Amino acid sequence: MLNSRRKKDLILQSITYMASFISLFVLISILLFVFLNGFKLLNMDLITHNFESTSYIADLKDFTGPGVFNTNKDFDDHTYYSTKWGIALSDSENLMGHTIVLVTYVHEDSPFNDLRNKGVATQDLMLDVDYEIVRIAFDDGPSALSIQGAQNMIQVLDTKTTFRELEYSTSGGGIRGSIITTLYLIGLTLLIALPVGVGAALYLNEYAPKNKFTKALRNLIETLTGVPSIIYGLMGLALFVPITISLTKATGANLISGALTLSVILMPVIIRTTEESLKVVPDDYRHASLALGGNKTQTTFKIVLPSAFSGILTATLLAIGRIIGESAALVFAVGTAIKDHVSIYDKSTSLSVHIWAMMTDEPANIELSTTIAIIILVIVLSMNLSIKLISKRLLRKYGVTHE
Amino acid sequence: MNKVFDVKGLDLYYGQKQALKQIEFSIYEKKVTALIGPSGCGKSTFLRTLNRMNDLIDNCVIQGEIHYNHQQIYDKQTDVIGLRIKVGMVFQKPNPFPMSIYDNIVYGPRCQGIKNKAELDEIVKTSLEQAALWEEVKDRLRESALSLSGGQQQRLCIARALAMKPEVLLMDEPTSALDPIATSKIEDLILQLKQNYTIVIVTHNMQQAARISDYTAFFLLGEMVEYEETERLFSHPRDQRTEDYITGRFG
Repeated sequence: MLNSRRKKDLILQSITYMASFISLFVLISILLFVFLNGFKLLNMDLITHNFESTSYIADLKDFTGPGVFNTNKDFDDHTYYSTKWGIALSDSENLMGHTIVLVTYVHEDSPFNDLRNKGVATQDLMLDVDYEIVRIAFDDGPSALSIQGAQNMIQVLDTKTTFRELEYSTSGGGIRGSIITTLYLIGLTLLIALPVGVGAALYLNEYAPKNKFTKALRNLIETLTGVPSIIYGLMGLALFVPITISLTKATGANLISGALTLSVILMPVIIRTTEESLKVVPDDYRHASLALGGNKTQTTFKIVLPSAFSGILTATLLAIGRIIGESAALVFAVGTAIKDHVSIYDKSTSLSVHIWAMMTDEPANIELSTTIAIIILVIVLSMNLSIKLISKRLLRKYGVTHE
Repeated sequence: MNKVFDVKGLDLYYGQKQALKQIEFSIYEKKVTALIGPSGCGKSTFLRTLNRMNDLIDNCVIQGEIHYNHQQIYDKQTDVIGLRIKVGMVFQKPNPFPMSIYDNIVYGPRCQGIKNKAELDEIVKTSLEQAALWEEVKDRLRESALSLSGGQQQRLCIARALAMKPEVLLMDEPTSALDPIATSKIEDLILQLKQNYTIVIVTHNMQQAARISDYTAFFLLGEMVEYEETERLFSHPRDQRTEDYITGRFG
């Protein structure tokens, strides 16, 4: 008897241990995957650089022939210098993790300082450090391509006396625009969703009569929490995009419609969380305020709302997490065009949609995606911490809360 | 003696249940009136009818008349907020707001639109002095009210009520959550305050009623059994039920 009960206990206990172990294991492996994959590409340039790169096709201007350009600069083993052309190239990876040939040094008298745009605009160009060389084409013989490496490119150059054209591009692939878009979205969405959500929660908890209609309303709001976000995205496309187009100078999907869509997604969450925190504000406070001659509005806004502050904060944190993480709804409401110059009237991508765009690339760019994932994690974490810190300071001012 | 409150034929129902039956009652100016009786006898309910705090209870129905300074307070035109300003209330559990001591005191005046800093400072000082708390907190007015001890919090609540310059103070078992020392401080305070205010106090503690009140009313099962000068009620109760209660035979 005793033995069988002990066995039962043991089985149940081990199930709970197993369950918690599995969830911990999954969490850690996701984090490990993200960090191991994404860490390589993580650097400040990725965050501060533009996504778009400009390509130029140029040829030599007033060219008199190669010379001898000696330099006393020290180059490492992976950098190749051509004394004939006065240019140093190295193998590198761009921000997106693609192999490129990077210009690491240009001699001040090098012919590469004197280039002419071969395109429609015939302005003067010059090669600069950190540009990527895509190919160099010659009249006699095959072109030197970036996929063949820097060493090959220098060797080919050294055998030639001139070239027909040079294709190079400024470095791109940064996610600065997407970070700005994400921050815009957070700001705009909170600006819309917080007042409306908190207001609705105040109405439901403080003013609404306790009847069937209120109950139905509350149930409806709860149901809205479970609606898939892609449906909200469709609604944003069908409803908010036309509205914003007619009211603002926007011409297509834009950040405002995205923020509106996100607000609708977040409203139920904010209402629920705020209402829960309003419920735990002791009636003692309300009674004390009314007994002191405060009216309903003063009681609600001066006493109840500040007491529910920590709950509203939790709602804000949940909201920020959701805004940063949302992608399906935004694909429709804000679009998928990665932009460097973010305008709230224009299409743009948040970091999550940026990941989506990278993964739909051919081939899928897993490394960059995981790097962006790290950045998203860092943003969420730092926002969480800073808001908690602010709230702690505010709460310290008022002493302990009722929790 | 001046009657502040005059209650005539007051019936109160919570839904179907009658909580107060035909209460006839007068409360005299600048006296301490104690309401005693066993739990659930309706004494707190009665206290709350005096500043219409029962309005907050959904299914509460009140019949009969309560006159405050010759005005029926359950009239439709009654300015409830004005009434509550004149009739302050202190609750059973100390319930300071989660704000600074200063902000707690000026909450009521601010709600009435007083913004002048000097005026508010003056209100804070006088009401804290009246509540015998000034000396203890004058250097920490900006600190949270919740950092005070229970007894201090209750005196803060009294000061907060006094800040409205009321005529009447209703106290609903103000010492039941406090230790004996804090209790005696509050009792001393009540004796001081009675010079300027009319006080109605609900208490479970018969010794307390005997110590501080001028008049005592004994409630039982929603009825007011006896209302007398305190000394007479405790020494020569007219009703058998009162005698049974004060001699500790029940309750």
